[in-house]
Amino acid sequence: MSALMHEPATGMEPVTRSGRRGGFFWTLLKDRKTAAVGLGIIVFFVLLSVIAPYISPYSATAQSCAVFAPPSVHHWLGCDDGGVDMLSELMQGGRISLVVGFAATLVAMIIGGGVGIVSGYFGGWVDITLMRITDYLLVIPDLVFAMVIADIWGPSLFHVIMVIAILEWTGTARVIRAQVMSVKERVYIKRTRALGASHARIIARHVLPQMGPLLIANTVLTVAIAIYLETALAFLNLEDPTVTTWGTILEHAFERTAVSSGAWWAIVPDGICIALVCVGCFWLGQAIEDALNPRLKIAHLSLTRWKIRTLAGRGTDAI
Amino acid sequence: MSSLLEVRDLHVWFEPPHAAPVHAVQGVSFELEAGERFGLVGESGCGKTTTILALMGLLPPNASLAGEVRLDGTSILAGGEDSVRPHRWKDIAMVFQGAMNALNPVKKVGWQIAEPMAFHGVAEGKAALKRAGELLELVGIPARSAQRYPHEFSGGMRQRASIAMALACAPKILLADEPTTALDVMVQAQILELLTRLSGELGLAVILVTHDLPVVAQMCSRAAVMYAGEIAETGPMDALYHAPAHPYTRLLFAATPDLYGADAVASIPGSPPRLDRDITGCPFRPRCDVPIERCARDHPALLQVETAHLAACLRAGKRGGLRAEPGADEAVRLGQ
Amino acid sequence: MRRTDYVIKRALFALVTIFVAITLNFFMFRVLPGNAVTDLARVPHAGAQLRRALTVEFGLNKPKWEQYLIYLRELAHGNMGVSFVYQQPVSQLLIGDLKNTIPMVTVGTLASVLVGVFTGVLAAWRRGSITDHISTNAAVFAYAFPTQWLGLMLLIAFQDYLPSHGMTWPLAAFFPEPFWQHLGDVGEHMILPALTLLLTAYGSYTLVVRTSVLETLGEDYVLTARAKGLPVRRIVWRHAVRNALLPMVTMIAMDFGYIVGGALLIEVIFSWPGIGLAMYNAVTERDYPMLQGGFLILTVSVILLNFVADLVYFRLDPRITE
Repeated sequence: MSALMHEPATGMEPVTRSGRRGGFFWTLLKDRKTAAVGLGIIVFFVLLSVIAPYISPYSATAQSCAVFAPPSVHHWLGCDDGGVDMLSELMQGGRISLVVGFAATLVAMIIGGGVGIVSGYFGGWVDITLMRITDYLLVIPDLVFAMVIADIWGPSLFHVIMVIAILEWTGTARVIRAQVMSVKERVYIKRTRALGASHARIIARHVLPQMGPLLIANTVLTVAIAIYLETALAFLNLEDPTVTTWGTILEHAFERTAVSSGAWWAIVPDGICIALVCVGCFWLGQAIEDALNPRLKIAHLSLTRWKIRTLAGRGTDAI
Repeated sequence: MSSLLEVRDLHVWFEPPHAAPVHAVQGVSFELEAGERFGLVGESGCGKTTTILALMGLLPPNASLAGEVRLDGTSILAGGEDSVRPHRWKDIAMVFQGAMNALNPVKKVGWQIAEPMAFHGVAEGKAALKRAGELLELVGIPARSAQRYPHEFSGGMRQRASIAMALACAPKILLADEPTTALDVMVQAQILELLTRLSGELGLAVILVTHDLPVVAQMCSRAAVMYAGEIAETGPMDALYHAPAHPYTRLLFAATPDLYGADAVASIPGSPPRLDRDITGCPFRPRCDVPIERCARDHPALLQVETAHLAACLRAGKRGGLRAEPGADEAVRLGQ
Repeated sequence: MRRTDYVIKRALFALVTIFVAITLNFFMFRVLPGNAVTDLARVPHAGAQLRRALTVEFGLNKPKWEQYLIYLRELAHGNMGVSFVYQQPVSQLLIGDLKNTIPMVTVGTLASVLVGVFTGVLAAWRRGSITDHISTNAAVFAYAFPTQWLGLMLLIAFQDYLPSHGMTWPLAAFFPEPFWQHLGDVGEHMILPALTLLLTAYGSYTLVVRTSVLETLGEDYVLTARAKGLPVRRIVWRHAVRNALLPMVTMIAMDFGYIVGGALLIEVIFSWPGIGLAMYNAVTERDYPMLQGGFLILTVSVILLNFVADLVYFRLDPRITE
């Protein structure tokens, strides 16, 4: 996932083109369907997670039906290997998965943001050193690295969050660095410097506010990757197995013979939830990046056909 | 006897994704004789590039087109892309603006020149490459440079190579879109001289599209001035230069800096109208220095000033008239 | 001359990164508190003799920087220690496992690249059409579904029709098969794992190729190709795709880490006896030398593959002169 989503968009246009930042997002949602659908999916799952304890039909941990009971009127998604209602389990899992996703992203943002700002603003050897470090870190394969660290630290949800953050901060760092560097070059920043403003003040008052939408795009995409990574780490036994997350649900299904029992309901809905959240994030994030970064020239050259019109009411040669 | 190329009432619309449709070319008509050098001038955005792209059917998918283009009497756009493709390069070829990017960076130059020859039955394999070398020599580049990549050429050389490439299938018409923009003055002169010479030697008709008036004046015998997607005036170069009938033409020539004169450079205040809206009256009226009352209401058609000299101005012409008004005898007459 | 500079530069970068990986490896396993290589109390099945041997070999009772030098020296000799569980040299075991992983991953990756390129070009060619939407969204979803989920789905769907466990039929070790039969056996077992890798990886290639080709289609030289009256198919493949390959190579290279991760999960699901499964077992069994060795081998592999990708890019682009 990381390779696809960490190309820093170089949309350098100042955000305030339409006056208000809110205006940007409204037009975005109106113009691009995928952004609206993506946002809708995310909102849906967040809301679902929030109200899960209240609308859960059964307990998410205690047995309430037969082992591997197939979907029925009472249990819409059947039950897992411990006789726990799948639907409830999924809702509960969603809560934790989303929390892990957001928490890991937050930590990644903090680390990446710090590095990106320092690197972009101060430039020079500081920048070169920091970027070299990120280059080296990027080469190391994600899951292998995660395996080793999570193993050394021991399996727990907190460690999982930290591991994901360690894997993801480089993407944010690059985006922020690119933005900071472009803002830094603008004339009014130089003027402010000339007037004697401190670095911190410039960063806080001028640099940070310009980074809005691109940062949001990056955040959204990072959340998707975080949720995805959580499931992988859970599957590899690197997470606390007693916690219910979308990842551990899959892991249990694998280890506790759901496959050989043909209990697809213990597997399919879980994957669909994960995929939906990831796709939703991807659509929203990508739509924001596209809107800020219109790279694709339409003119000329997609190779489908142009049309011929008849001129109505002109009376001269028309075909 | 029909002309080599006849363009009648050409219209091109674009439908950009999140915006109103743009009427980029609005009823353009002109003719081109064999071996003639014809200029198409105007400011950026007036539709001249779109016009010549339309001649070859090189329009994007969000475009639609109306009107007729006849090559040697045959209508070539009627069947859409399929009917125009066989004529590309073999009958009409094009040299693009900014040859830097018009050449494929990862293919050798000789290969690029030779490529269309096989598809149009001109030459194949080694013979094609040999011919490519000859074409390069024709434009003043050593034949062995065919083994090089575009980035190894200078800007001027790339433009020459593009011209050589355009001649690959011995076309009758060459469309040159701003061939000298982005080149320095010395190289500009060389390219123009080359085009003139080729036109003479090969009997090649050339349509030269540019916003640079001295260039047109130097090379072309006839020209059309475009404004807001229409032809504002067309006629022999002399007439346009010495006796322009359309205010725009007059102002355009006046705005060209004169190297030797001490006059201040005149520029035309204002900007061209937007083409995504309907225009009432004459499109040039807001910037015109001599409008009359009718100009606000009536949209002028091309009117005859002299033989083969037409202008779309209500003040010009032997008879005043409106654009395509039913029953108006003064409607479009070309060249008689 | 200048082009060799580029190769040298990239080779140097690869070497430095390998060195960083080696050092990081040492750091994680020896220096960090709670690491288990030094803390032999966390190695339940290490008998006294093994502990003594380990202490001597790794110099565990010497200062850290000396340990580091010993570590480097041993690595130079290809010695990555001894597996706690199998009591055999780690390098030997892992190379054997690597030999099983490589064919499966190669087949899966090649297939995913081919499918990705094809669907990406198709989507770009027919931009905005139904084909484009289906192609693109299928790719996004395939990429979004967790690798292990895709594996499990294939498992459920085909477990009765295709072998889904291990690399050969269970008793192949005792009844050695003739070469072609063995090949067929492995091939049959490889179908599901490679298919899973195909499904999980192709999506990102589709999207990258699509974007790349669309950008290329917007370039002036494609307009030139069109103006030459060339058939559409030729323009797309010989001009657009050929140029779009360049950014594609970069993107494929960036995905190597993802492929390694995917292979790991796949080997676990299908019990494919490769290096991924070995690492997974090493975690469960607390076999730290194996874990450390696996990390190093996989990381170095990715670095080398990136270098190869740099060379391929270099070969494809005549403009690189630096």
